[in-house]
Amino acid sequence: MMKGNNHEPLRIGFYICHCGTNIASVVDVEKVAETVKTLPNVVVSRDYKYMCSDPGQDLIQKDIRDNKLNRVVVAACSPLLHEETFRKAIGRTNLNPYFFHMVNIREHNAWVHESREEATYKAIELSVGAIRRVSEHKSLERKKIDINQNVLILGGGIAGINAALTIADSGKKVYLVERDPSIGGHMAKFDKTFPTLDCAACILTPKMSAVKSHPNITLWTYSEMLDVDGFIGNYNVKIRRKPRYVNEELCTGCQECVDACVFKNPKFPDEFNLGLSKRKPIYLPFPQATPLVAVVDPENCLELKTGKCKKTCVEACGERNAIDFEQTEKIEEIEVGAILVATGFKTFDPARVPYYGYGVFPNVYTALEIERMINAAGPTNGEVLGRDGKKPRRIGIIHCVGSRDENTNRWCSRVCCLYSLKLAHLLKERTGADIYSFYIDMRTPGKSMEEFYNRIAEEGINLIRGRVADIYPENGENNGNGALVLQAEDTLISRVLKVPVDMVVLSTGLEPQTDAQEIRRKVNMSCSAEGFYLEKHPKLAPVSTFADGVFIAGCCQGPKDIPDTVSQSGAAAAEAMKLIDKGYVELEPNTAVVEEDFCSGCKSCIPLCPFNAISFEEERRKALINEALCKGCGTCTASCPSGSIRQNLFEDDQIFNEIDGILQDGLFERGLVTNGDNPYNIERNQSSERRCAESQSQ
Amino acid sequence: MITKPSELTGSEYIKEEGLTCQLDTGIDNIFDTEEGRKILSCIQCGTCVGTCPYGEHMEYPPRRIIRMLRGGMIDEIFTTDSLLKCVACYACMVKCPRGIRLSDVLLPIVKEQTLANLKQIPAELQSSLQNTLRYGNPMGESSRRRVNWIKSSPSPVPVMSEIKRPVDVLWFVECYTSYYSRGQDNSKALARLMNALGIDFAVLGNEEKCAGDCGQLTWESGLFETLTDYNMEIFRKYKFNRIITGDTHAFNAFRIRYPLYGFDYKVEHTTPFIARYLDQLKPKLKKKLDYTVTYHDACCLGRRAGFYEEGRELLKAIPGVNLVEMTHNRTNSICCGGGGGGMWLDTYFKEKGMERLSERRIKEAIATGADVLAVSCPYEIYRFEDALKTVDHDKPMIVRDVVELLAESLEETDDER
Ligand SMILES: Cc1cc2nc3c(=O)[nH]c(=O)nc-3n(C[C@H](O)[C@H](O)[C@H](O)COP(=O)(O)OP(=O)(O)OC[C@H]3O[C@@H](n4cnc5c(N)ncnc54)[C@H](O)[C@@H]3O)c2cc1C
Ligand code: SF4
Ligand code: SF4
Repeated sequence: MMKGNNHEPLRIGFYICHCGTNIASVVDVEKVAETVKTLPNVVVSRDYKYMCSDPGQDLIQKDIRDNKLNRVVVAACSPLLHEETFRKAIGRTNLNPYFFHMVNIREHNAWVHESREEATYKAIELSVGAIRRVSEHKSLERKKIDINQNVLILGGGIAGINAALTIADSGKKVYLVERDPSIGGHMAKFDKTFPTLDCAACILTPKMSAVKSHPNITLWTYSEMLDVDGFIGNYNVKIRRKPRYVNEELCTGCQECVDACVFKNPKFPDEFNLGLSKRKPIYLPFPQATPLVAVVDPENCLELKTGKCKKTCVEACGERNAIDFEQTEKIEEIEVGAILVATGFKTFDPARVPYYGYGVFPNVYTALEIERMINAAGPTNGEVLGRDGKKPRRIGIIHCVGSRDENTNRWCSRVCCLYSLKLAHLLKERTGADIYSFYIDMRTPGKSMEEFYNRIAEEGINLIRGRVADIYPENGENNGNGALVLQAEDTLISRVLKVPVDMVVLSTGLEPQTDAQEIRRKVNMSCSAEGFYLEKHPKLAPVSTFADGVFIAGCCQGPKDIPDTVSQSGAAAAEAMKLIDKGYVELEPNTAVVEEDFCSGCKSCIPLCPFNAISFEEERRKALINEALCKGCGTCTASCPSGSIRQNLFEDDQIFNEIDGILQDGLFERGLVTNGDNPYNIERNQSSERRCAESQSQ
Repeated sequence: MITKPSELTGSEYIKEEGLTCQLDTGIDNIFDTEEGRKILSCIQCGTCVGTCPYGEHMEYPPRRIIRMLRGGMIDEIFTTDSLLKCVACYACMVKCPRGIRLSDVLLPIVKEQTLANLKQIPAELQSSLQNTLRYGNPMGESSRRRVNWIKSSPSPVPVMSEIKRPVDVLWFVECYTSYYSRGQDNSKALARLMNALGIDFAVLGNEEKCAGDCGQLTWESGLFETLTDYNMEIFRKYKFNRIITGDTHAFNAFRIRYPLYGFDYKVEHTTPFIARYLDQLKPKLKKKLDYTVTYHDACCLGRRAGFYEEGRELLKAIPGVNLVEMTHNRTNSICCGGGGGGMWLDTYFKEKGMERLSERRIKEAIATGADVLAVSCPYEIYRFEDALKTVDHDKPMIVRDVVELLAESLEETDDER
């Protein structure tokens, strides 16, 4: 009789799940159970409708007690779903939960095969492999490590702001790091928000000031995350705080410096207004900026460029003495238990759709530019004027710019139909102009959204179903200063329309931030195909990531509106709190271990580890793996030239046994199964016979 | 900036773009192809119709064709002349947000059926298709006179059958550039440039026949195959490293359809080809041409093949030239109306009350205030010079191929003087 490595005789229990009909309709589960029962050391072998249910788990626990099982194999769905369930069930008996192995016969078998007979055959092979493998399993312990109680939030848009307040209100300390000189994100740029048309500033600014004054929030604007080190529960993060040349503690935001600047007139494009207005080299980003602190732009400040300015700003600041040209970049190092990424989105650059004439015809605007123009605190104090200074009488709005298009971005950006309707309403309200809104499909899902669509439609907006295909000047002139013709097919009446307008609004889609890949790499997250951060599970773990302890919220995960952003950021805050409030994390024991006696100290494994988990102990000249950082990916184990790294749960003998089990030829040779070339007595069709013949001829 | 490699072989083109369709793809089996699956993804946005230069004149423009096809009502389309109005300009294809290759696959198939169902094929089109079959050129000129232009060319033009040795560059001259006098100017200019650059080239002379792009775009597959077989046979007779042609339609045929028949030579249009010699050429461009020039992107060279900058870079290299752009340029260029058989449908279109596209285009060129409209396709010289006769313009305007302007700027060599 074979023995387990704890030197007791092996007593294996095998359980195969029907998963309702998910598995049983394709795999003959009874046949599998029957066959496995004949294998050496298998004491019980059962099939059951739902193994993961309470009665299913009870069944295993009872067998462990009654039949003194010391190994358990479950053939069911993906371990991703229920490995933990069964380990816990086993852990509740006195058996170590790692004397268990799970076989995936649903995703890897029933769901992808059609032939019942072949699928059954495969399920048997996989199960035999697991039975052989589990014999070599060892008892393993989970390690506990303490968790740092602070949270880092990256990005101070509405997602980051809301999460910061939620976590800080619960008594935890939050570092909120924002790249721009002020928090607020895109929402701070809007005048009103769909679907309620309530004023964006009225609902956002109170939250911004709450962030600023919250005792549990450290707000670092004009700052970036440089570097992340460490692991779940214990991250060391370096933050670069760029010099704004104004002392945040001393500045009162009075703007007297701005008035006094030697540049009498604003001359440089104002970033917050997307270049629609000008600012001076010392400026306040916008009136509600948080923190309310001036910034100096080093590219254009005379003093910083030449050192030869009269510094009238410093004079004006006077006793407050807030302006500091000596300020330099500062690197802060912090320790946090969790990281919440809320870096939002950027809007699509419409120059990539050249036939819409953005940047060529002066009166073609992006929706975000119009948001600023409509804003009472914007570049025109809320007045809508073309670049020729004229009030438009006819305005065209083009949906889906850059979205739903194989040539640019394939996804639907989800908010553009709704914000286009919002802008249609606001532009009509402000200018009385005729509005022509060109859409492909009007997408208004969500609470109160269809009602909003209805309301705007009733206001008399011309809604035209057709994608604008060309824009050109009505008078044939090249500069395009006069009216522009929007050419599109009205697909509902099959007619090509040529609509002359004075202003064009491009409803550009939402894209991942330019530095998304960089941030992703720093925290070891993944991105989905479009480049937005990838959630751990699209339905059941929407704010977690594949990097433990890193959470995502808002548009950095994918396009969404403010209501959804806020809900999601609340969820991410709760997940982060769930993690740190527990106080400790348990680490999966499937880590790699260096057998020091054999390690030659060649260091070849160190650069290979994608998680930077391997360090080198200079004194003993041995590689050392940090269990907390190791994710058990196996890269080092496979690459060690002296074979001195092994990995728990993936030991050589475990894997070879499993392979032997699966390759039944190996079983024949060892006399473990003997029944000729059809050991399981399954009825065959031609293809399985062919396979058998092939494997014999080899 | 030029970034695109301009010289690829037939199989490389296929690899780059994926196979357009199979030789036997037709209306009945289109949904079995990869392109057919793309067609199923049409979102009925109407971009194709909105951008089509004749979209407003088609009862069944591309979007509706797709719906009718899906609804099993495609036969209804063949009873109208809608697709006869497609000038194969690729505008719909480059803008389609689903990447449906309308002008490559579906539209030619529909056009073929339309032609087959037409009670009477427009006379002009009919005769040029017949001429092409009979004489190997749409004008009905004698095939024995194809090579005659060489005699009046100041720079030598070697002929393959005479020199009896392998060459580097086989120059496929094509019809307009062999027979039509303004086309010959174009050919002579190119010959002069290649001589100046020391390029080892030769032409097929009377052995050459029309490449058949017009046949391809009207999907007159019988005619097309006759020409393909013939030209392929001639190619096999000789040894050369690459084929170049100044005719964008021949270039198109070699890139898109010939590979389906096993054509696998390196092929390049002359504009990108000469642009590759820009560094060598630049010092030789001595004569100042004080022109304001605007450049028309040929559909088959620009939109279909992505060569937008090569022509412009060449023009900018000419001393004195001031390059200005028309409203519609590059991907958004407006077709001259000559493609897909449009070259021989001017009368038919006029009868239908449709504006000549060459006239629409020339108005934009005039609006730029340019002295010269530069082109890269021999059809265009003819079409735009003709349009200039009917469209009012205060300032004189001339039409020149890019190679003509380059040759004009070239310093004169002693033996030319
Ligand atoms: C034109 C337009 C109109 C809209 N109108 C509406 C509307 O009316 N109603 C509605 O519900 N929704 C609207 N939306 C959608 C709305 O903008 C988003 O739902 C919302 O802004 C998402 O918030 P966020 O915090 O996820 O992202 P953002 O608002 O983009 O905020 C992200 C923040 O992170 C910062 N950041 C980015 N990268 C980094 C980094 N590496 N380090 C540090 N900080 C970083 C950014 O500077 C920014 O402050 C509109 C969108 C557009 C484009
Ligand atoms: S442009 Fe493309 S997706 Fe839109 S209607 Fe035409 S074929 Fe369909
Ligand atoms: S190829 Fe040009 S002419 Fe033909 S349907 Fe498309 S857009 Fe119209």
